[in-house]
Amino acid sequence: MNKTLQQKNTRYFLIWLPLVLLIGTTLFYFLMSTHAHHMEEEQLELTQENIWNMLATGRETLPFHITGEYDLEKGNPVQADLLHAQRDTSIYYPASKEWVPFKILTEQRLLKGQHYQLTTYISSREITHLVIKVFIADVFVFILLLAAIVIINRKSSGLLWKPFYATMKEVNEYDIIKNESFQLPTQTGIREFDQLNQVITTLIGNVTQAYRNQKQFVENAAHELQTPLAIIRSKLDLLINSPHLTEETASLLADITAANDRLSQMNKNLLLLTKIDNHQFPDQSEINVSVAIDKLLTYYQEYYDGALPQIRKSIQPDIHLYANTSLLEILINNLINNAFVHNLPNGYIHIELDSRSLTIENTGHTIEGATDRLFERFSKGREQSNTTGLGLSLVKRICLIYHFDVSYTYAENIHRITVTFPQS
Amino acid sequence: MKLLVIEDERSLLTSIVQYFNQEKFLCETAGSYEEGVRKIEDFRYDCIILDINLPGGSGLQLLKHLRLNKSRDGVIIISARDSLDDKIDGLDLGADDYLTKPFHLSELNARVRALIRRKYAEGASVLQVGPLKADLPSRTIIYADQPIPLSKNEYDLLLFLMTNKNRVVSRQAIAEHIHDGPSEQIPSSDFVYSHIKNLKRKLKEKGCQEIIHTVYGLGYKLST
Repeated sequence: MNKTLQQKNTRYFLIWLPLVLLIGTTLFYFLMSTHAHHMEEEQLELTQENIWNMLATGRETLPFHITGEYDLEKGNPVQADLLHAQRDTSIYYPASKEWVPFKILTEQRLLKGQHYQLTTYISSREITHLVIKVFIADVFVFILLLAAIVIINRKSSGLLWKPFYATMKEVNEYDIIKNESFQLPTQTGIREFDQLNQVITTLIGNVTQAYRNQKQFVENAAHELQTPLAIIRSKLDLLINSPHLTEETASLLADITAANDRLSQMNKNLLLLTKIDNHQFPDQSEINVSVAIDKLLTYYQEYYDGALPQIRKSIQPDIHLYANTSLLEILINNLINNAFVHNLPNGYIHIELDSRSLTIENTGHTIEGATDRLFERFSKGREQSNTTGLGLSLVKRICLIYHFDVSYTYAENIHRITVTFPQS
Repeated sequence: MKLLVIEDERSLLTSIVQYFNQEKFLCETAGSYEEGVRKIEDFRYDCIILDINLPGGSGLQLLKHLRLNKSRDGVIIISARDSLDDKIDGLDLGADDYLTKPFHLSELNARVRALIRRKYAEGASVLQVGPLKADLPSRTIIYADQPIPLSKNEYDLLLFLMTNKNRVVSRQAIAEHIHDGPSEQIPSSDFVYSHIKNLKRKLKEKGCQEIIHTVYGLGYKLST
């Protein structure tokens, strides 16, 4: 699984930092031990020097033995190979009933014709304690350091990546259809993100421009087509009134008329789509959807004069939506019309409306191929040469405007389109 | 009846003129804004068919000019623009009707005749075509002094045929004429057939002879 940048970063820190700190701490320990050892040595030598000096001046009589400090003996009782080097020993203290470890150094000198041997002592317990204490303090500091590094890192990367997440959010929310201007901040305080934002702004600007050009082209093309369509239609109206009409030409004319009518409808729908894209339906009002559906059904019943599939309704009264009247009418009409056109003989259509959703269910042939393209332009079912292929595309576009969710399901010759209204 | 058609698209202009000539209208034409202004200043017309996009100016401008001169000439706007705003603008400026391109000539004819009826033949609320009489205010068709019970669609259809008497009216023109669903949707013409069938049956029941004829697969004609 992919982790976030921060998680990944923290993970690296948690793997490598303790390792580095462990090595560091060990090194520190050994270094300190060596230094402590060296210090003991110096201390022993210093004491030696002091005592020899006192002995040499001989002004005072020195005690020959102080426990834990030094031993002074006449003669050379110790073998020469033990001289000049630190040795370990321990002395029993009866008062505290413990053996205390000591470091000792033994030297021999000849003073005023007399051989002396001096052994100086230094307790190694205090030094060891000190080393351990410092070491523990060090470990504690290191752990603190580790925690601080991880926390600071998390905090700072959260702050550092803030512009990135802001950019991501904005890009994610950008909808080309809504025709909004898009500008990412170019003063984030981080040069890389400034550049990123710059690049994305340019990219989206170009894409939007291309989209607008495309839209403009469709719009212009559709507008320009109106006039030739009008001419063809008028000429056809004249032709069918020609006194020299034969059955053969009439049949040709009928086909031309039908094709021309379809072309007109297609063009009209294309214009409608561009108008919706251009937000040319701004007026909104409270619409009683229940009434609108009933009105439309009445119209269909009158218009088609009984040649309709069976209509089943379960429509809750007084369901209101806030939308543009024309668009909502087109939406409902296209859905119902779609259910009529793609129905089976002796089929039915079921219309269900409540405050959450509008569901239109109808019997119909199996749709071949992928149904996810159903709402796209010119995506058509079979045997439907007399449809424009734009009806459901309009539905989708209108739903998009009002944040309705539209979904399609199919099971055993039953097609079902559900429009879910946003719950405020 | 005198008609002025102001339309820059030559081909469409000749179609309209040809159609209305056959309807025994006297047709004048103008292909540009200036020409239109000249004609409306010099003559009176029963009806002016006016395109909005004209070389030299807007048809709406021309309409404004016309109404400023206190002319009461009937005006029907024909335009490729079909937004509600455009329609409202046109009607606000004093147009009597608004028809979106592409339209059927039979529809334009019906609109022109309705306009002339409203504007000039005040009181003449009865349209007599052959043996049929249409009482417009009460929306009834009378045959031999007896009203024929018709549905709304059937009445509209019959009146449309009567207005376009002795002409072939295409099925699509009928479908669009009697359609009153959402304006963006051109209705299917498949169901005109059943309306015609019912209409013929009802006429026959009242003893009216066959006056509606089917012309191949193209449309219908009411002959007198």
